Amino acid sequence: MRVEQALRLLPNLEALLPLRGLLLSSARPDERVQWGSGGPYLTVGKRDVEPGELARSMGPVLSALAQHIAALYGAYVEALERQERNDASGAVGALVGAGRLEEKVGRLSQAQAWYEVALALAETLQDRRPEVETLLAIGHVCLALGQYAEGARHYQRALVLSEAEFNQAGAVDASVGLGNAAFERAEWPGARAWYSRALRLTEAGKDRRRLGLIEHRLGVLDRRQGDLAAAGDHLRRARECFEALNGEAALDMARVLDSQGQLDAALGRPGPAAGAFREALAWVRRDQHDPGLDVTIRLHLAELLLESGRWLEAEEEMRRAEQLAITSNQTRGLVRIYTLLGTLRGRQSDETGFVFFEQAIALCRALEGPPIDEARVYQAYGLFRQICGGPDEARAYLERAAEIFRSLGVDEEVERVEAALRNSRDVPAAGAG
Amino acid sequence: MTTRPAQQPATSPPAPPSPRSVTDAVRVLAVGGESGSGPLQSLRQWAADLGVELEWAADLPRATRLLAGGRWDLVLTVLGERSDEDLTWWVDALRGAPGGPRLIALADRPSMGLALRAEKLGVLDVLALPLKREALANAVSRVRSAATEVALPLPSVDPEAQGHYALVGQSPAMLDVYKLMARVAGSTATVLILGESGTGKEVVARTIHQHGPGSSGPFVAVNCAAIPENLLESELFGHEKGAFTGAVARKIGRFEQAGGGTLFLDEIADMSLSLQAKILRAVQEREIERVGGGESIPVTVRLIAATNRDLQNAIAQGRFREDLYYRLAVVTIQLPRLVDRGDDLVLLVGHFARQFGERYRKKIEALSDRALELLRNHQWVGNVRELRNVIERAAIVVSDGTLRSEHLPDELRAHEPGVPERSTSGLPTLAEAEARHIARVLSHTGGQIGAAADILGIHRNTLTRKMKEYGL
Repeated sequence: MRVEQALRLLPNLEALLPLRGLLLSSARPDERVQWGSGGPYLTVGKRDVEPGELARSMGPVLSALAQHIAALYGAYVEALERQERNDASGAVGALVGAGRLEEKVGRLSQAQAWYEVALALAETLQDRRPEVETLLAIGHVCLALGQYAEGARHYQRALVLSEAEFNQAGAVDASVGLGNAAFERAEWPGARAWYSRALRLTEAGKDRRRLGLIEHRLGVLDRRQGDLAAAGDHLRRARECFEALNGEAALDMARVLDSQGQLDAALGRPGPAAGAFREALAWVRRDQHDPGLDVTIRLHLAELLLESGRWLEAEEEMRRAEQLAITSNQTRGLVRIYTLLGTLRGRQSDETGFVFFEQAIALCRALEGPPIDEARVYQAYGLFRQICGGPDEARAYLERAAEIFRSLGVDEEVERVEAALRNSRDVPAAGAG
Repeated sequence: MTTRPAQQPATSPPAPPSPRSVTDAVRVLAVGGESGSGPLQSLRQWAADLGVELEWAADLPRATRLLAGGRWDLVLTVLGERSDEDLTWWVDALRGAPGGPRLIALADRPSMGLALRAEKLGVLDVLALPLKREALANAVSRVRSAATEVALPLPSVDPEAQGHYALVGQSPAMLDVYKLMARVAGSTATVLILGESGTGKEVVARTIHQHGPGSSGPFVAVNCAAIPENLLESELFGHEKGAFTGAVARKIGRFEQAGGGTLFLDEIADMSLSLQAKILRAVQEREIERVGGGESIPVTVRLIAATNRDLQNAIAQGRFREDLYYRLAVVTIQLPRLVDRGDDLVLLVGHFARQFGERYRKKIEALSDRALELLRNHQWVGNVRELRNVIERAAIVVSDGTLRSEHLPDELRAHEPGVPERSTSGLPTLAEAEARHIARVLSHTGGQIGAAADILGIHRNTLTRKMKEYGL
């Protein structure tokens, strides 16, 4: 049975989300179909799922679920016990711990709910450190959910409290968080000011890992602003920081190399860029495997190949990322992969590429993830329709993207989409869909 | 809709080094462990004897840098606890590396399942630790023998050899196809094209259209297997604005787009029964209704349908309408499998080598004898489409105008002659043969245990036990 058929029989209930995840991750491509004319357009919805195999895979998933729920219940009981012993700080810690457990399995909204309960308790304490810790956690999850203004508000409060308490690590983390919130909204001067402030505070403390992380963020910021030479300097310094940690920061190293690859790509150096991405993948492999990061790096490599016109290799890399995203339940990653596959088909003027955007939109809706994901799909879908015909649809998708970006306050993206909309009004697309 | 169009030229890749000669030292990159100690400690002592130039990379990032920076013949790596994932990672990492290095994976106690998966991925060998000199010498000699490939000129595909319809091939099986196409092209009869995946059904459909009475009209192809079921109806018949969520504008369907020309419905067996009924109505009454619209719209199209499925079987199982089948199968053309087309394989290689050579700005004029042997030995599940893909990939990495075995994907090289069986007698043990057969059947069923058990004629619990036993 096809996944798309199986999903139609599954009600959209939160309790069944793990089953939905299992269904997707256990789906297999049919080798015969892969070479069929539909092969280039295969998505997860067109994979096969076998009920018997699903039943067999349910045991480990249910067991992991039970463990997760037991850990959450345990954290809650611990919070109650601590509260009873007048250890409210400990209770906050237990609640924040539960949130982190949720975050680890990708349940961001649920994590946010735990952090909010923790925050309400922390605000009543005289000791402000638990409140800072909670604010940092909630700020982080807000950004991951695309709630940039709210995230910034939490980080701002964490900064004020940290400075009042001479908590340097807290102040650094809050400043970086504020920089990230500004960065996501393309407020470059604000992001730079916050990162620079974090850098000044860190240099005094000689914390190599934090220093590396901030240098990395500054490098990414410089690249986005087009100062590629400065970006290179920051990324080099970030690498030096992580190298000094003797391999203890393998994933940080992978992220820096991923950024280095993007920088090399921006510099028009596809060879070194591909080398940096491949080395980044090797660092990911070296450490506890992080499939989300692996998928991200592969997508950047695929984008590089796509921009270089090496479409066959780009598609192969996207398909490898797809396989990884499916087996490791990286649904957000899948959304980005299908968006990129659709973009590739658009470059090839292949109208059937629309199936990838449709699949990406269906996944966004099923996932109920950050709205920015859906906005990016609509943006790419609109551009695809501009190339492959369907000017009315192109406009409708671009308008939808602009609407979501506007609601998130991402002005730079709004401007970009509006430029594409103006273009679609000025130049009527060839052919109608 | 169109078929996937020609790609644009790629940016020129960095100039690869010239192919190695049989007298060159075999360059080996050993990954993991400490140089001079650990499970690979004896390697250094053997290197000079075996004519091996050995380099050590302590970890994966260093190995990646070394691989990108030079040409290697062989990579030796010790697999970790997640041996399957390690294996897949390495195969990916080596894809496209300069020189097409082969992989030897080392593991403490490699299971039969691991060995079979490695073989399928094209890994040169899986060896048990501690590494034995003889095993390494054997691998090195296999790599070295690959350097003795002889270049054979590729045939030029002259217009006659391509047949009347720009289809490459002159085998008897294809000549029969050409004759049938010639008979049917001049009419407006509905045609059903049957054949395995990648045999060229759309090429045939397009050619019939080009030589038919509606050739001045459009040729519109719809891939029924690619489009999500819930969108297929609106794709075929169109929809009115607001007909359903996502219907942001009025859409003209494929039937209307193909007006005066040909509508090619590929993978028609993948269509739901309810949609089959609507197609039947459109074919019979020559009119359609857009989704969300009440108006009947007349359509004049020639219909060509295709499938790689057994439609008679689908009818027997109630998955395909018999009445629609007879409507579509006015004329049936059966396309041959690539393995049944004899020397067409070489013609097709020549055709694709030239096509992709132009695209990637390379002059490809020859094919090595070993590469030809590997191409001939391959099963070609994906037929011409798979061959085209293989030659395109080879055209990207080829450096000197000759396609060699090193330019072919590992899956093909897995069947390179000389890969030894694991038993000393050269014949597999009963357990090995059973494990191999189970692995092959599982691959055929896409890993579905129930279907595999049916084919093997054993209970699924027995199959599960055997899979566990063999580490499959």
